[in-house]
Amino acid sequence: MTVTPKPTGGVGMNPVANALSILLLIAIVVATYILYYAASPLVFMALVAVIIGGVLVGFGVHFVPVGGAPAAMGQAPGIATGVAMLAAGSGLAGLFGGAFAINSNLGFFTSIVAGGIGGALMMAITCLFVTLIYTYGMGIPSASGKVKVDPITGDSQVEYKSQGTEGHGLPFSSFVGGVIGGFLGGLGGTLIYYELLMVYEAKLPALLSAASASAVAPVAISLAGIFAVGMFLVNAVLAAYNITGTTEGFHDPKFGRFPRAIIACLAASAVCGIVAILVAAL
Amino acid sequence: MTVKVEKIEGGTPHNTLMWAGLIASLVCIYLGAGLNLAFSAYTFSFFGGLAAVAAIVWGSNTIKTLCSYGIGTGVPSVGMISLGSGVIAMLIATRFNWWLAPIVLVIVAVIIGAIIGYMANDVIMMKIPVMRRSMTEVAVIGALMLMGFAQMATSTYSLVGLASTSSTLLGVTTSGFGGSFIGASIIAVAFILGAIAVQHPFNATLGPSWKQDRMLMLAAECGFLSMIPVAFMSIAYLSLPAVIVSIVVSLAGWYYTYNQYLCLSQRDAAAWLDAKPIREPEGH
Repeated sequence: MTVTPKPTGGVGMNPVANALSILLLIAIVVATYILYYAASPLVFMALVAVIIGGVLVGFGVHFVPVGGAPAAMGQAPGIATGVAMLAAGSGLAGLFGGAFAINSNLGFFTSIVAGGIGGALMMAITCLFVTLIYTYGMGIPSASGKVKVDPITGDSQVEYKSQGTEGHGLPFSSFVGGVIGGFLGGLGGTLIYYELLMVYEAKLPALLSAASASAVAPVAISLAGIFAVGMFLVNAVLAAYNITGTTEGFHDPKFGRFPRAIIACLAASAVCGIVAILVAAL
Repeated sequence: MTVKVEKIEGGTPHNTLMWAGLIASLVCIYLGAGLNLAFSAYTFSFFGGLAAVAAIVWGSNTIKTLCSYGIGTGVPSVGMISLGSGVIAMLIATRFNWWLAPIVLVIVAVIIGAIIGYMANDVIMMKIPVMRRSMTEVAVIGALMLMGFAQMATSTYSLVGLASTSSTLLGVTTSGFGGSFIGASIIAVAFILGAIAVQHPFNATLGPSWKQDRMLMLAAECGFLSMIPVAFMSIAYLSLPAVIVSIVVSLAGWYYTYNQYLCLSQRDAAAWLDAKPIREPEGH
């Protein structure tokens, strides 16, 4: 088996590819506007919201301290698992919170913020117990390898970092970053879910020749949920590719790569979103 | 014990596996749908599961091709993005009639996968030569898996069929949406069954002693293992004989592939011993 070195995640941006992605995004949005805005503005609004939600998910992933296998061995800071698992965990927890709020008719803003709180809560609990296990179970202090002083508390990090490691444990800034990332992920996921649910509740009764909207509610909820999960995973994995596996949070130099992920998530969400909406609107 | 020395590189070329997987998967879906229609029965729904197995075998080799470059995020992320993009293509395809749906599925999945691959390779600058192609393939694989499992569980893959149920109780037929494949969110279970089945084979067999035939056998084993729960789910939608046929096919397939995988693992192991109870030393 040929083992090639890990990609370092090329520096800089590719102008041609970026321009093409933005063109694709504009083409999809404009085409949807022309085709659907007059007949049902809901479809166009849903597409825009789904794109914003996807970008929020992709941006939020950059905050989450992902350690991977090195973190499990105490050789790198962060939570000891992969981006896909962490993002899916916080996103789904947020989705549950948001879906509950939507089901209780608490309104648009309360619902999506409830989703964000759900994701943030899940990340906060994860970070707390990860820190407990690192500190009392593995006996390692929290020290960042990327910065000399913690950007929030101003605590010095260098003295606590073991030689030969990239830092270990979960520094305070990573903890805060995780909570912010969970909030953005939950917010974005719930926004996608909410808008898709509106579209399906409006369009599915005619499609399935059902008597009322409440009869098809299980189908609309399930469809919106599975699409929200699918789009969440697509955006989270794209963002994970952007940070090539591990990051410490917003103080990591890799955080500066986020504009690339935003462009990628814009175009990917537009494509996935329009197809997901067309399932009911076609 | 004989040690069989084989080249680590080599095995079946990826292109061959790709076309074989794609064609086998499509043929199985069409066979299941066509035979069910021809005999107006549910008995041939298990072909959907076989389509998923073919897609999983192809998918494990795609993931191997991609992940030998070291993508940094772990093998499971590819399984997740596969189903994440696949579910969207699969559900838009369910809007079309039974002979058009699999073709639409492949076309839409290719478009979505190609765009995601372009984003990952050129915008995010992964710069992996097989990235665009692999992302395209995994989207098709995820969509085919879901369509196969949907067909196996409910005997159909039309949106109306997946979203509604009709039950006959005391001669009165009632139809509803709550307990259907989509309405009861069984699609979420199929989603994660497929995602784990497609990423596990390479994740479990990677390393210096990786052998293609062992990984593909494990992929088939994972596919049949995922078929078993789907066969049990189909109790809610299919007639009893069809369910029994599905369960027998998936159990038989799983038993055969599991045995074969054990043989291949023992072939590739440096040494293996049959475990025996620990003997107490004498006079102790």
